[in-house]
Amino acid sequence: MRNFEDSWKRYFHYVSNDFATMDRVLDATPGSKVLLLGNEAIARGALEAGIAIATTYPGTPASEIGDALARVAKDAGIYFEYSINEMVAVEMAIGAAASGVRALVSMKHVGLNVAADALLTFAYTGTRGGFVLVTADDPSCHSSQNEQDNRYYALLGGIPLFEPSSPQECYEMTKEAFAVSEKLELPVIVRTTTRVSHVRAPVIVGEIMPGLKKKDFVKNPERFVTVPAVARARHLVLLRRLGDAEAIAEQSRFNKVMALNGGGERGIVSSSAGFNYAYDAARTLGISAELLKLGFSYPIPRKLVSEFLRKHRTVAVVEELEPVLENELRALAQHESIQVKILGKEDGLFPRALEFDQAIVERGLARAFGLKDSVPSDAPAPSEDIPSRPPVLCAGCPHSATYYAVNKATGRKAIFASDIGCYTLGVSRPHNAADLLVCMGSSVGTAGGLAKVNSQPVVAYIGDSTFFHAGIPGLINAVHNGHKFLLVILDNRTTAMTGHQPHPGSDRGPSCCDVTPVSMEEVVKGCGVKWLKVVDPYDIKSTTETVKEALAQPSVSVVIARRECALIAKKDEKGAIVKKAYIDQEECNKCMTCIDKFQCPAISTKDKVQTIDESLCSGCGVCVQVCPNKAIKEAK
Amino acid sequence: MADIYLVGVGGQGIITASRIIGDAAILAGKNVIMSETHGMAQRGGSVACTARIGDVQSPLIPDGSADLILSFELLETLRAMCKANRNTKVVSSSEKIVPLSVSTQRLKYPIAEQIGVEVKRVASEFVIVDSRKLAEDAGAPMSSNIVMVGALAGTGATGVDRKHFEEAIGANIPRGLDRNLAAFEKGFRVTAKSGKA
Repeated sequence: MRNFEDSWKRYFHYVSNDFATMDRVLDATPGSKVLLLGNEAIARGALEAGIAIATTYPGTPASEIGDALARVAKDAGIYFEYSINEMVAVEMAIGAAASGVRALVSMKHVGLNVAADALLTFAYTGTRGGFVLVTADDPSCHSSQNEQDNRYYALLGGIPLFEPSSPQECYEMTKEAFAVSEKLELPVIVRTTTRVSHVRAPVIVGEIMPGLKKKDFVKNPERFVTVPAVARARHLVLLRRLGDAEAIAEQSRFNKVMALNGGGERGIVSSSAGFNYAYDAARTLGISAELLKLGFSYPIPRKLVSEFLRKHRTVAVVEELEPVLENELRALAQHESIQVKILGKEDGLFPRALEFDQAIVERGLARAFGLKDSVPSDAPAPSEDIPSRPPVLCAGCPHSATYYAVNKATGRKAIFASDIGCYTLGVSRPHNAADLLVCMGSSVGTAGGLAKVNSQPVVAYIGDSTFFHAGIPGLINAVHNGHKFLLVILDNRTTAMTGHQPHPGSDRGPSCCDVTPVSMEEVVKGCGVKWLKVVDPYDIKSTTETVKEALAQPSVSVVIARRECALIAKKDEKGAIVKKAYIDQEECNKCMTCIDKFQCPAISTKDKVQTIDESLCSGCGVCVQVCPNKAIKEAK
Repeated sequence: MADIYLVGVGGQGIITASRIIGDAAILAGKNVIMSETHGMAQRGGSVACTARIGDVQSPLIPDGSADLILSFELLETLRAMCKANRNTKVVSSSEKIVPLSVSTQRLKYPIAEQIGVEVKRVASEFVIVDSRKLAEDAGAPMSSNIVMVGALAGTGATGVDRKHFEEAIGANIPRGLDRNLAAFEKGFRVTAKSGKA
């Protein structure tokens, strides 16, 4: 047999002897080219920058930054934590960076809404050690509730901004962001999108710097305690530093003019993922143009951009989501009295919603420059009668069981306030378990408002991780102000949707760290809740009865539906005997209850017969309780 | 330049397969850029990954321009036809995973022949791989995805040598390597004209 250990080592130029524990983020040797996810490249860049601390709250498309660092934290000698929410993650990083060490904090775009309060004032105090915040936007809402453009946070807070386009740039810009942050003593944002964070490509890595891991905090309340007198003075400092930041952006190697097909009068300005499409589209169209790629895009380097605008008669701006660069360019052209036609979203060339692809950009550029695009108009349309396959709750998912029981208890007559997690998938039929959802923790708060003005019963659903993240203040508010609704905490012991990260209730932390589990019952009681019960959702009868009892309470009541995520249970119980379910066809009268009222991916209809796919069945036994004819049985 | 469009259902090991393809391309000294589906869509939904080998910047494959579609599930093969053109080769697993919508909305999962007709109408070549059985035959029942990587390698569409694929499998799944290489071999033989490279 060939020795693949050798080829693995050759690939990564490893020197380590321990083949099994190698990690491509930590162990890739300086100078080697390694295939990394954009998010992993950010983690590597931060390690090379010598971070002392990294924090996060998981969220797609940012999760793998934290996951990679959690994996290697111990060996890399850094502190890592999954914080309770993004706000605390940022505050943790602020505490460390204000002391003088380097700190990385990462989150998905909407996570920054939660953390914005801390970040925007931290720009006033500024930092001592490098402070880099990564926000991953999600154009097209692949895994999100909105597609906000977080570049506005840079403008809003006066925070320098990097926008990588590729994994290589994710790596390089993260490193550079730390240097810029320390030089300016300002927090810096690295903003990615799904098609940057979740792109995998070769990255040439460098050396991991040890970096400072401990520091003695030097007191300076005139800078770090933002009472009004300090804040007023610090705002002026921030504005001065933004001037310094612009000077750095003017010289940055990440802001560069590229000649496409020999260059010429046509100009393209682009950043982030938009650049990739613009570059490929220009090549496909065969247009000669100059492309200004802005990687260090805020504060915008006005000299560099003005020069570019002066040199071109027509400039197309290719950026996803909001016309941030486009508006800055227009303002600059007006201010500098530059005669140039700036084309973009305002002219309908590019959409303001949903992510781009090459065809969209090709069409837009062709229109901007009066050319014919080569996008085939006769691309085969997908057949409409292909059955759809949206994501669903897994076989054995305890949430399905809870939804079934609550629907039984309420006769589906309740209003359901839902929240963010796997369980949001319960919105579709047959559970129809979501009527209102806006953000993390919103189920608890909105339930109060719903209950005040509606006569129907109100049930709020929230996951365990989400409860800790943002559900607690809403619950205290409900107790204090006397709102009457039922809060069902769907406790599957993990942050399942984003990849099974731990949360404050978990007894297992990431491998790097010891954690203390926080009791959810004690938290709920501590919030002042008088009526609390814990149920096993796999027990349909008892869950249904408990929900009925809870709904009859005169004030806010809480049911914790506790059962480990089926995917984790499956892993943990590998090899254990699972009592799979089967359908006794002689007793099945095709009432379709299992399909129409419960719905499990393991149960399907083939040739008009309902069967259970043994390879998918988790043995939860819920369908056995659901079947009114006792036709579904557990294998002996 | 090769644009490979990988489709299937969340949980089928498509990300692992695409990582192996990417590593193999790097080992072969080629540039590669890939995009992946993570997060919510992974819960049993349709997933699509791309692998573009060659000199490009953007990770997404425009409609109608995939060189090869590697599908891990038959219905998803049909859904992927928007990326196909007259020169596209389609390599699909015979695996059928019935989506819930078929039962709940009383829809029909199209029969394999129907799918074959539709694919051949759009694309140039259609190869079906009995990946589940081949994986079992190789003693690696969980490695259907590796069978499919073998089937991709066998087409030669990537321009990446077989040995680089094998090295990449070793790099990504060090455990049970012999069985996975056997699974790779089974898939390779289905699409490789000469049988053995």
